[in-house]
Order: sequence, then C-alpha cells, then structure tokens
Amino acid sequence: MKDKIVITGIGVLSSIGIGKDAFWQALEEGKSGVKPVTLFDTSKLKVKMGAEISDFNPGAILGEKGLRNLDRATKLLLCTGKLALDDARLEIDDINSNAIGISIGTTVGSLWSISEFDKSALRDGPHFVNPAEFPNTVINSPPSQLAIRLKSKGPCATISSGFTSSLDAIKYGIDLIRNRRAQIVLAGGVEEFCEQTYLGFYKVNFLAGVKGPELSCPFDQRRNGVILGEGSAILVLESEESAKKRGVDIYSHILGFGTHFYPYAINKYEPQGKGLKKAMKFALEDAGASAEDIDYISCAANSMQDADAIETASIKEVFGKKAEEISVTATKSMLGETFSAAGVLAAAATVGAINKDFLPPTINYAQKDPVCDLDCVAVKSRAARINKAVVNAFGPSGSNSCILIGK
Amino acid sequence: MSDTKTIESEIKEIIAQIMEVEPEKITPSAKFVEDLGMDSMMALEIVAAIEKKYKITIPEEYLMKLATLGDVVAIAQQFIGKS
Repeated sequence: MKDKIVITGIGVLSSIGIGKDAFWQALEEGKSGVKPVTLFDTSKLKVKMGAEISDFNPGAILGEKGLRNLDRATKLLLCTGKLALDDARLEIDDINSNAIGISIGTTVGSLWSISEFDKSALRDGPHFVNPAEFPNTVINSPPSQLAIRLKSKGPCATISSGFTSSLDAIKYGIDLIRNRRAQIVLAGGVEEFCEQTYLGFYKVNFLAGVKGPELSCPFDQRRNGVILGEGSAILVLESEESAKKRGVDIYSHILGFGTHFYPYAINKYEPQGKGLKKAMKFALEDAGASAEDIDYISCAANSMQDADAIETASIKEVFGKKAEEISVTATKSMLGETFSAAGVLAAAATVGAINKDFLPPTINYAQKDPVCDLDCVAVKSRAARINKAVVNAFGPSGSNSCILIGK
Repeated sequence: MSDTKTIESEIKEIIAQIMEVEPEKITPSAKFVEDLGMDSMMALEIVAAIEKKYKITIPEEYLMKLATLGDVVAIAQQFIGKS
C-alpha cells in the first residue's frame, strides 16, 4: 500500500500576488500579471510585455543579510521556501533536519548569472571575475542555497526537464517520501525573468506581439505566442500519516502522476499530443480514477497557436464525452509562461480552487476558436466545488507531465 | 597614486560591504575571522574586489597573511606601488 501524499503548506511568489492567500485571491479576481517590462530595455525589440514580479522585496521576507551575492532566481526561491515553511507550521531543527528534503524544477534559472559572469570576464579580464558570483552560474544553485539557508539535510534535487520541471520535481519529492528517504519534501519550481531568456524566446518566435496582439490569450483565436513570466512556488509534501502526527491542516491530496516523453523535434509541438494524452492517462491510472471523476483541468495552454489546440484535442480524446462537462483554465492567461515554474504554479492555483470552491478564469478570452472549444471559464471566475482536478504541463520538445489533485 | 588614508578608507568600504558589517567595526587591528566572522568565500571575494579596483594581482601566498585591515592595506599598497 503506497503512502497517501498530502500538501500541508504552500509558498507562492507570482506576478499576481505574493503568498498563497494573495495569489488565490488574485486568481479569483482574474488579475493579470502582465505589464511593460521594467527589468531591462526592450526599445529595440518588437515586444514590450512580461509578467514580472514588480513588487519583489526579498529583504522584507528574509531579512537583509546574506542576500548580496544571490541572483534573482535564488532569492525568489528562498522567499518561497520561507513562506511555504511558515504556512506548513514547520520549523527545521537539529532533530528533524535529516528528514527534510528539497526537490526543485528549474531550467534557465542560472542563465542571467552565467551571462553576467562571462560579461565580467570579457569586460574586465578573466582575472577580475568575482569568485562569489560563480556559485550562481550552476543550475542547482537555487535549491542548494535553499537547503543551506534552511539547514535541511535530506536529499536536495534539481530537476531540469524544461516545461514539466516543477511537476516532475513534485513527483521526485513524492518518491523520496515513499522510499523513506525523506519525511517531508519542499517540492516546486522557480524561473526568474531576465533579458537573456526573453531574447531566447523572442528569437525562436515564441513571444506574442510579433504576428498579432501582445496578449496572453489562451484558447482565443487571436493567440500568437506567449507572454514570458516569472514565478516560484513550493508545496510542502508529506505522507498523510506524517501530517496527522504533526497535527497540521491538509490542503489537498496528490492522487496520481503520469509522465511521458515523446521525442519529436526541438522547439516544435508534436501535433497529435501523443505524449500529453499518455501522461494524462497514466495519471488517471495511477490515481485509480476515471475520466468521470474529474471536475476540473488546469491546462498548460500558453497562447501558442498549436499548443492550445493540441491540449484541447488531447483532453477531448482522453476524457471523451465527459470533456464537454469539465471546466478548464489556462492560468498562463494571468501569469504568463513561467516555463519550469508553470506546473507547480498551476498546482498551487488548483489547490486554491479546491479549497476556496472556485474555478479560476481564463482571462483575455474574447474570440472563439473552433479548435479550442472546451469550457475555459472565460474572463470571470465561477463558484464550483471541485473534488478531483488534473494539472497539465507540456512543452514543445517532448516532455509531458500531469498530476491529479484531490480534496 | 592614492595615499594611505584614501586606500584604507576605500578598502574598509569594500570589506564592510562584503561582510555586511558597519565600517566602524573594521578597525585597523580587528581580526577578520575571530572578531568579525569572515568566512573563506568572503576572503576570496575581498581579495578579488581589491584586485579589480586597483588592477593589481595579489599572489596566493599572501592570502594567509591578510588577517586585519592593517595587513590588507599594507599588502595592497605594496602591489599598487608596483603596478
């Protein structure tokens, strides 16, 4: 008998709210995190918008000391970890530190630091680089800094599987608990907003605003690319037994997980959604659930022409007739595309929807597209009771993951 | 060429910033490790920052001798003079 895995704490830093309560409220209000980019100059680009966390003040959450050399991704994650621990009423001490693990998805989290380190070597000469900035250039830096700050001594993992990273990190965290390698795992993901990532997405023609309106409008006929965003979320995972022993509230259960990598082509969505369909089927099987049990799907739809249509068709095939009754949301309409962090942000949003009895909206929806014809909770949230929900994450290079969350 | 007082004040500011302590605490004889809580990464960063500021190279064998502000100023001056 597998341990039942529950969520007992949530930390969120997003462009629409900091802390889970602000985040859930913003989702219910259909707030947009998209605004003109302020972190770097976009005057020479055709696009100007992003979903930055504009009121980010790490000192207010962590205290001012010890932050000086940390990059934005790491500071985002440290703040998220602090919020998650507080929310889970968990204090790490000498007695429990060996039992606390960390599992974080991030893929381009170090890109800015690598670039700045290289720029310094080129500008000032290789002898004059700052050795204290070098640790930021490795991809496992944010989770490792989190473990150092929290003094947690359990396993500390970094999962870099692109768009599915943070859902895959949750699965890794579940396995750590079920394999008795950790009692409690802080699982989630982080991506920072930076010029290098923005330019990368711009140059591969993924950003909205070149071929149409500069808008994150998933499922809408006008969709023409993503609005890049940033964010971080951590779920505190433990077995149901552990949560009961600690006497803490349980927000939700993680009932199942499925993943399938379908190799196709770099930066191109596989048109049939073969991998995504398998990931959803595996998650249902893992949870011992059927299509009929699902009330809500938090989609990965990100306002790309092909991605949203592929996800719609995949849901219709996997859920059959039931797909007509299931409400779906593209939280990326509010949060932008946060890449590795998107899965756990969608999961944190779904836990809010389950606990607060609402369906988050797909904002900016105005023009119907016949190939995206699910009930996408257009523009405004709705009251609803959700018992079981599916959260999807998938990307153009083949990774597809799905988790099933229940009350 | 900077005089000793200017160099001392500039280096004190660099050290205070890296160690996140008030500049007044960095007296010429206060011991970095014992009195001010310096760790090895801070030591490397301080040397790198001084090398960058004055465009000098402080050889590795000098690192162990940098125990106080007074030591750092004296050694920095020695190499600033050479450059």
